Amino acid sequence: MTTKRSLTPYLFLAPALVLVAIFVLYPIASVVYYSFTSYDIVRPPVWVGFDNYAQLVADPTFWKALTNSLVYLIATPTLIVLSIVLAIVVNRRLRGIHVFRALYYIPAISGSIAIGIAWRWLFDRNGFINSALISVGAIKDPIQWLSEPSMVLPIAILLTIWAGVGYYSVIFLAGLQNIPEELYDAARIDGCNDLQKHWHVSLPGLRPQIVFVAVISSLAALKVFDEIYVLTNRTGGILDSGVTVVFYLWKQAFTLQHAGYASAIAIVLLALTLAFSVFNVRLLERGTAGD
Amino acid sequence: MNIRKLVALALAAMLAVACSANASPSPSAAQSAAATVATSASAAPAASASAAPLAPDPAEAVIQNVEPNAQITFWTFYLSPTFDNYIKATIDRFKATYPGVEVKWEDHQATFRQDLDNSYAAKSAPDVINLSVGEGWVSDYATKSLLLPLDDKVPQAVKDVYFPGLWKEQLVDGKNYQFPWYQGIGVELINKQIFAKAGLDPASFPKDVAGLKDLCQTLKDKASTVCDIRLTVSDLLAQMVYEGGVKVISDDGKKFTFDSPEGVAWLQMYVDMVKAGTVDNSILTSTDDRVGLLLFSAGQAPFYQTGPNLIREVKSNNSQLYNNLAVVQAPLGKSGVAGKGLMGISVKADTKFPNASIALAQYFTNARSMLEFAKIVAIYPSTPKSYDDPFFSGTPSAIEDSARPIAKSIVSTYQDIVPTVPSKSDVNEIVRKAIESALFGTNPVPAQKALSDAVAKANALIK
Repeated sequence: MTTKRSLTPYLFLAPALVLVAIFVLYPIASVVYYSFTSYDIVRPPVWVGFDNYAQLVADPTFWKALTNSLVYLIATPTLIVLSIVLAIVVNRRLRGIHVFRALYYIPAISGSIAIGIAWRWLFDRNGFINSALISVGAIKDPIQWLSEPSMVLPIAILLTIWAGVGYYSVIFLAGLQNIPEELYDAARIDGCNDLQKHWHVSLPGLRPQIVFVAVISSLAALKVFDEIYVLTNRTGGILDSGVTVVFYLWKQAFTLQHAGYASAIAIVLLALTLAFSVFNVRLLERGTAGD
Repeated sequence: MNIRKLVALALAAMLAVACSANASPSPSAAQSAAATVATSASAAPAASASAAPLAPDPAEAVIQNVEPNAQITFWTFYLSPTFDNYIKATIDRFKATYPGVEVKWEDHQATFRQDLDNSYAAKSAPDVINLSVGEGWVSDYATKSLLLPLDDKVPQAVKDVYFPGLWKEQLVDGKNYQFPWYQGIGVELINKQIFAKAGLDPASFPKDVAGLKDLCQTLKDKASTVCDIRLTVSDLLAQMVYEGGVKVISDDGKKFTFDSPEGVAWLQMYVDMVKAGTVDNSILTSTDDRVGLLLFSAGQAPFYQTGPNLIREVKSNNSQLYNNLAVVQAPLGKSGVAGKGLMGISVKADTKFPNASIALAQYFTNARSMLEFAKIVAIYPSTPKSYDDPFFSGTPSAIEDSARPIAKSIVSTYQDIVPTVPSKSDVNEIVRKAIESALFGTNPVPAQKALSDAVAKANALIK
């Protein structure tokens, strides 16, 4: 009877555990194994020990990709700030406020590929940006934005921020609506103006959401792929200007057929995201504890 | 932070990485010119016409000892649904010609390469495979010993069915691994309005690649537009060979030689154009033929090199441009060779039914099947006999068919003059980086240095 009772929860968990084992743990274990092999997908992998990792260290494109991914993290604090501001703006009783909230959320439910294509058109040689700049006389000849190495990454980051701000603002909006109104009343009685009210009440109240958004948005920034893939037409940009770690991983695995090397990149990315998440949470927890 | 949180974070990070690694949105395939021939053909209204069923002809049974009750799988690239009727009718005719053989046909599109790689990994690769010659897929798989060499398995009389240059269009270590299938012809589509604005006559379009530099300068000066020309990013050495007449590797295959004066001169032409701002840099380095075509279809490019079948796409997207369209033959490079083949059909190396597979590959590429295919879409047969049909000798009325009467004379000259290159994709990546470093950036590397550095890196890959 006792044994039966103790088995019951595991039986309920079993279907999910089996799925996780097949579709998550097994692939991850495979990637770890492949990272120690020379593997072109079509032929059996050959064990090469740490060769792939040694090659990574000496690969300038990998370091460039890593740098680009780290630069991409700029998107995270920008996203948090803009999302909080937007959440505060739409957290009020106004006629048609639901329409505004829905509008800001549209990029979140649009496909990233569709958004990327739309942005590519914007920055196209004959796109909206160039047309607007020419029409106001700011430039004479169109600028080739997406073939300008220094512009690819900033445009991609801008796209990510634009596409993410609506989604994250909904999270902050939910957080704001959970803050008791009495706290704002107390702040008002204490003489706080609107800015001080949000500084002293809203921000501390939003800490759990900030931690959550910081972790997931920085992870998303580290594994950015779609934006670069679409904006650069699968090239990664001239002079690899927009290549990120995940894009490089994809290119190595599926264009150059170096799946073993790509697996080593994936393992490094795993370690990086893990370390970053721990750092993120610790930093923010320390902030909360000191409050 | 406690252990539980750490474990949760570890799992979250692992999931994030796993998801990102699996997020590859199936790319590449449509990038190739080969693919665009197929895809655009599928967009062509004429192509949707159904093929009338044809009676089998015993003379088409040219492969002997076909295994009884063979069950073979055939993969095509970007041909469904538009050509379903044609493919199915041809398979039915094949089955009537070779009774007892069962054929399972699948069409794969944007994920073709990944699907094929995965099927090889899973040991379930198709027996008969439609591979792009133009993109070098035949040599990619043949160098990995994944395709069946055909020379000693196909009778000479059958080899003679094809243009000799096409039978030998992608040899690997001197062996052929494909039956040449449908071919394309490179033409320049010209926007007559833009040319008129620049005071240019389409008939005076350069006959050789070197003339593009002056043409683009004129177009920029007089029509304030840039040229949409492309580097073949997936096979730059081939472009060097055809356009620049460059010898890319030594005869013994042990040393790369593309930093020769010919190689430097070829690269310098593009360097000069980029420096002068006469080309669209995105199109120049794009892996996707469609991007430039879309710009041309939108009336934003003065000319664009592609296949005549894509004219139908221009017609459906922009009828105004279609009425202002001129078509001329694409300029030749220093090699003087018009080009190499487009599509082939290969057989996997370890098929259980080699003769049945060879029979199917040959059947789809025989003169009769090719002619029927050419009648429903602007592709060109690899078989000289197909051109004897009045279909090819009549005067076409539509501009998209204008290449038909001269197709035989062009296709018959096709040959692959690019030698086998070891570690081809890695070498191409080295060359791509070198070329981009010479073309772009705040301090571009001189063409000679860029290519010499690339040669040194590529030589290191030769063991």
